[in-house]
Amino acid sequence: MGLKIDALTCTACMACELACGYHRDDAFALLSSCIVPYRAREKKNYVGIILKEEDSLVAARPEGLEINRIGQEQDPEKEADASAKPMLLRESCDLCEDVDDGPLCIKFCPVNAISMD
Amino acid sequence: MENLASNKISIVDLATRNIIEEELDDDLVLEKIGGAGITKSLYDRFADEDPIVLGAGLLTGSLVPGSSLGVITAKSPLTGRVSHVPLSLDAGMELKYSGFDYIVIKGAADKPVYLWIHDGIADLNDAGDLWGKDVWAATDHIRDLMGDDLIQVLGIGEAGEKGSDLAQICINYWQSGDRMAFGNLFGKKRLKLIAIRGMGLLEIAEPEEFIEKCAGLLSAVKSGGAAGIRGIAAMAAAVGEEDLGGWLQPLTHKHMACFNTSVPTNTFVFLDEDPALLKETAVAEPGFLLTDISPLLKLKKLGLTASDACRVLKACATYGIDGASVAELSEKAGLTDPEAIKSSFPSLKGPVSSSGDAVFSPWAAIGNQEKDAWMRRQAVAYIFGIHPIFAQLAPELTEEKLLDISSIGTELELTSETLEEVIADITG
Repeated sequence: MGLKIDALTCTACMACELACGYHRDDAFALLSSCIVPYRAREKKNYVGIILKEEDSLVAARPEGLEINRIGQEQDPEKEADASAKPMLLRESCDLCEDVDDGPLCIKFCPVNAISMD
Repeated sequence: MENLASNKISIVDLATRNIIEEELDDDLVLEKIGGAGITKSLYDRFADEDPIVLGAGLLTGSLVPGSSLGVITAKSPLTGRVSHVPLSLDAGMELKYSGFDYIVIKGAADKPVYLWIHDGIADLNDAGDLWGKDVWAATDHIRDLMGDDLIQVLGIGEAGEKGSDLAQICINYWQSGDRMAFGNLFGKKRLKLIAIRGMGLLEIAEPEEFIEKCAGLLSAVKSGGAAGIRGIAAMAAAVGEEDLGGWLQPLTHKHMACFNTSVPTNTFVFLDEDPALLKETAVAEPGFLLTDISPLLKLKKLGLTASDACRVLKACATYGIDGASVAELSEKAGLTDPEAIKSSFPSLKGPVSSSGDAVFSPWAAIGNQEKDAWMRRQAVAYIFGIHPIFAQLAPELTEEKLLDISSIGTELELTSETLEEVIADITG
């Protein structure tokens, strides 16, 4: 069981990122979230969502899902963003295991772009 | 103030380059609540030095739906009134997390400067390399320099540098709600831009109760009248301008939201790329983010195609001039050729009706609302930090609920009597 993300529905509002940050810190912060809307290609309006799972980084992009196994060698040709957050250093998604009614990112997504898979 | 705040005000003197810091006292919050309540109070305190005051609302950057709004308060060179202009998209949120609650910028620099706000640090830097660059180039320059594409840039272009009556402070590459010519003020102060990055943390007095209330508000909004509204055309349709949808649809790429705002009030159009493209385009600058209904409607009424209208607005954003004023003056001058409209930018002068007759930017005036009710709702939005268009679309965010959740988040007793006083103060 995991999160299912619809990048085409996402409006990049960052509510999921803030809700996840609250789950980690009991405060509002954006640096510890394991789910992060990708908004660094602003002029191209290319947005998606990156999710850190236990053994993989999931990139939900408009063209589809990309799963990168953590520890696996990455394509050296791929351009990395200077502003990319250090996702690998963050806690993995635990589906908000201590929250009674499920993951907070699902609860706070205003456009229902995230669901349980 | 310890909760929902960074507890810091920065006072920047452009003339001396001196920057001092003050704490955000609980007493000030108890008296003025936040957002425009406090920016107006700080404006009054430094009024002799023609200040520009930036701040975020009390609830900005929280999980309260629509909590995206920051505010700039200054005297409009266009109207002569002390006015409030919205900081939408992600700018208000980044300001809230920057380590400062409010920033007062007073005096004028003797040569171009920019202000870099991050991690509780405010730095004034030389902007010799930036002066003369258009808004897009200046945004690219500062992001490249800092190595961070998420920096929010409040900047001016040629219009502000050359003292245009209609100069606008743009947000990153896009038009903002600055209909008050605050871009002209930036230019007079030789302040090319303010770069903001927020990576701080906001404590909450009663976290579980606060989050529960946020979830309740979101649930109410999702089942309310705003549900299903997506983008500029849908908002126009909601106020009786149904034609915009069909006109704009062939260019529409995606509807985009401001921070934590349930209704995506912006629409990205592709002008030099297939709007249906799902993967990342190879075109560096394929289009434009539409953030303002008014100029779009006016340019459509002039007979421009959607593509030409969007290209005119993109040119407004690179030049740093208010698109609504450009559209209004083009109509008056009988200009209907997009190239002629763009060529007219340097010679355009106010006054214009696009600046409205209120202290709040008419950017958020959608539909035919009764003025007093609109003013009050704007005041509430600007105090608490709620997106001012969304605030009108979401009556579920009542004043009582916003006061209640603010008190829970701050542990301060904020009353309806205080709110009345603050509304009266900022609406003049």
